[in-house]
Amino acid sequence: MNIQDNYLKNKKNIFFSENKDIETHREKLINIFENDRFDKKNNESLKNINLKNFIDFKYKYLISEETSVINNNHENNYSIVSVNGQCSSFKDDKIEITKILDEDYNDFSKNNTIENNDHFVNLNSLFLNSGFKIIIKKNNNIKIKISNIVTDDDLTIFQKNNYICEEGSSLNLIEEYENKNNSTSNILNVIKLEKNSHLNHFLIQDNSANHNLIITTHSSCKKDTTYTQKVYNFSEGHVRNFHYSELLEANSEADLQGIFFLKDNNTSNNKTFVKHLAEDCKSNQVYKGILNDRSKATYFSNTHVDQVAQKTEGYQLSKGILLSDNASYFSKPELKIYADDVKCSHGSTIGPIDENAIFYLRSRGMSKIAATKILISSFINEELSSIDNEQMSELIQKKLVRYLSKVK
Amino acid sequence: MNSETLNTLDSYSKNKYKYGFVTEIDDEKSKKGLNEDTIKFISLKKNEPNWMLDWRLKAYSKWKKMKEPKWANLSFPEIDYQDIYYYSAPKGFEKKPKDLSEVDPKLIETYNKLGIPLEEQKVLAGVAVDVVFDSVSVATTYKGELEKLGIIFCSIGEAIQKHPDLIKKYLGSVIPPGDHSFSALNSAVFTDGSFVYIPEGVKCPMELSTYFRINAENTGQFERTLIIADKGSYVSYLEGCTAPKRDDNQLHAANVELIALEDAEIKYSTVQNWYPGDEDGKGGIYNFVTKRGLCAGKNSKISWTQVETGSAITWKYPSCILKGDNSIGEFYSVAITNNFQQADTGTKMTHIGKNTKSKIISKGISLGKSQNTYRGEVSFLRKADKARNYTQCDSLLVGNQCGAHTIPYIDSKNNTAVIEHEASTSKINEDQLYYCRQRGLNHEEAVSLIVNGFCKQVLQELPMEFAVEAQKLVSISLEGSVG
Repeated sequence: MNIQDNYLKNKKNIFFSENKDIETHREKLINIFENDRFDKKNNESLKNINLKNFIDFKYKYLISEETSVINNNHENNYSIVSVNGQCSSFKDDKIEITKILDEDYNDFSKNNTIENNDHFVNLNSLFLNSGFKIIIKKNNNIKIKISNIVTDDDLTIFQKNNYICEEGSSLNLIEEYENKNNSTSNILNVIKLEKNSHLNHFLIQDNSANHNLIITTHSSCKKDTTYTQKVYNFSEGHVRNFHYSELLEANSEADLQGIFFLKDNNTSNNKTFVKHLAEDCKSNQVYKGILNDRSKATYFSNTHVDQVAQKTEGYQLSKGILLSDNASYFSKPELKIYADDVKCSHGSTIGPIDENAIFYLRSRGMSKIAATKILISSFINEELSSIDNEQMSELIQKKLVRYLSKVK
Repeated sequence: MNSETLNTLDSYSKNKYKYGFVTEIDDEKSKKGLNEDTIKFISLKKNEPNWMLDWRLKAYSKWKKMKEPKWANLSFPEIDYQDIYYYSAPKGFEKKPKDLSEVDPKLIETYNKLGIPLEEQKVLAGVAVDVVFDSVSVATTYKGELEKLGIIFCSIGEAIQKHPDLIKKYLGSVIPPGDHSFSALNSAVFTDGSFVYIPEGVKCPMELSTYFRINAENTGQFERTLIIADKGSYVSYLEGCTAPKRDDNQLHAANVELIALEDAEIKYSTVQNWYPGDEDGKGGIYNFVTKRGLCAGKNSKISWTQVETGSAITWKYPSCILKGDNSIGEFYSVAITNNFQQADTGTKMTHIGKNTKSKIISKGISLGKSQNTYRGEVSFLRKADKARNYTQCDSLLVGNQCGAHTIPYIDSKNNTAVIEHEASTSKINEDQLYYCRQRGLNHEEAVSLIVNGFCKQVLQELPMEFAVEAQKLVSISLEGSVG
């Protein structure tokens, strides 16, 4: 079934379909799909994707009866269980959680510029069926843990979340994706950081082989803000991590990091994009990947420095280890610079594990597999040791051990 | 940015193109526009055999179905292919002169103005020059000496007549006519260019050199160069260009094919200084070049070195296909853009064979309102065991209205291959400037020194004959300039 028929047939289940404005916008999106089909040849961001799952899908969505829970066990600790992309409303003097509204749709889907050509974001806007909005109120320091749960097989979830960090607030956000069914989640996070606010964002992805996860983040940073994102991808199904960041005002900072561990026939597409639109901003994009068996990955990084963004510092690093001769890794680190007083660089390496290092360890009596495992752990040690949350750190170590146990 | 910088920038941008003059020679042109008749006209004029005409027509039918590649970071008005002359030859050259004294004196004068007197060069530099003036080879020097070694160095037109076997075997084998629209266009209408064949085991004793020069207004130049280095041979080839000042955009779509067989080495150096357009971005050459080398045999090597300072639009990716085991590909590039120039240049290294190695060093310098893009692809195919690549691309920004972009594509399908890529972008280091000024250099000299130092890694790869010219060119590009 093509996208248009799919949309018309399921219109009644899709958010805001009674809103005339949004309807016209969606018709425009359908036109884009009609004119610019998913053209794998000319759009390398579609590499490795089994498009059938995304164009020709069967729309199915369930509103779960289990109410999502918000548990305030400690003062500033909240844990949220989001079921099929839904979350019940909540309000206290520190945070406020609501459903997303028409205006949120407009705010993002119509005004965004970076992702205009991103088909998956457009699909998300078109079939939107879930999502919530979290506001962190002024000058609060909050920790939130969100478990994203999908209840049934064959669901297609199109979710949009809004996070707003008000002035002076700081948020530590942990998101977990651990699903074992055949569903597809297409999630768009829109993050707004007001003056002097800080967000530490962890994403742990560990889905089973049939679960597809498309996750896109769009963060916009105002004055004196920092946005740090760390993605740990242990999933066995397809994962697409596309993260866009806009530095709108001076002295803001974006740090986008990711590690992915792939095996079997896994595929993972990753992209980070930082747009420097003001002076004195910093950005950092670091992705590391380990690919085993027949897995395939892509990583696109992009630093865009506007003409006014003097004194910018923008760094990119991409590193890949190929453990098997059937694995493949494609990386495209881009710099687009229109200002002269900048320091920007990128580095990219792809290769096997250093043979000399293996030789050294083996000459000390270690088996080849043990040596390989040690070198893999040290490859990502820098990223793991920088996690300041003990619980998180333990969890990730455990998953790493599980991954390493499959390495032969 | 201080006021001195702005002043020097300003004075730089007013710097006129030194080689802007027009030689008045009667032209013999084909009719404007591109159709089968044009191609038949060209083929007839060049007295080509039928198989060549068929080859051209086949390429033309492919071109008709193709669109221009759009992915480059360039913007320019659509090219009207029907508003271009595809053939122009200086009058009376249909029968080639036997030596230089028979050549039109005005033509010789043109080269004298450019500082490359043929007579003198013959004696002094020991360079054999195959001059392409518009579309017909004017004179070929040092032929006799090369012939003794069995080296063939002639115009491609002559090669089609005299060495049809080689042409049939190799023409289009590295760049198939249907590769993309510019290669199809070139294949259909190419008029001249050079042909080089180095026989087995011969080391070419001198640098082979061709100076291209666009002269007639509205005439696109479509050269086709084919260099074949047979087993165990070596050749170094120089290509340099300067073009007279014109207001109309001129299209230039050359194709260069290199083939290195077992143990052979080809070194190809270019200095490109076509007319870049005036300070308002008016005029200038559109330079859409396809250069590709095939390391067909084991232990072969192809090395590209380029200094790009001219052209309004540069679209150029000298590439290497590393097919033979242990073969080596190298790419050294300096690209300087100023005013409204746009350059999208880089390379493509495709590793197919085992133990293949490639090295990419690219330096981009943007001034004025120009846009300078490095775009390079390195790919390791499944069987490229132990392949190795090192890439370094640095950009220097002068002024805050220009742009410097780096877009590498890195694809690895082999787990024993190692790839390393580094890039950096910055402005001229204030400390270095300060140090030089302190030692008594003026601002301009200091900048010129630093920029030359920035490019040195590439410039030192050029053969002697070119190194001096290239260094001068870098300094000229910065003359009266820069901050």
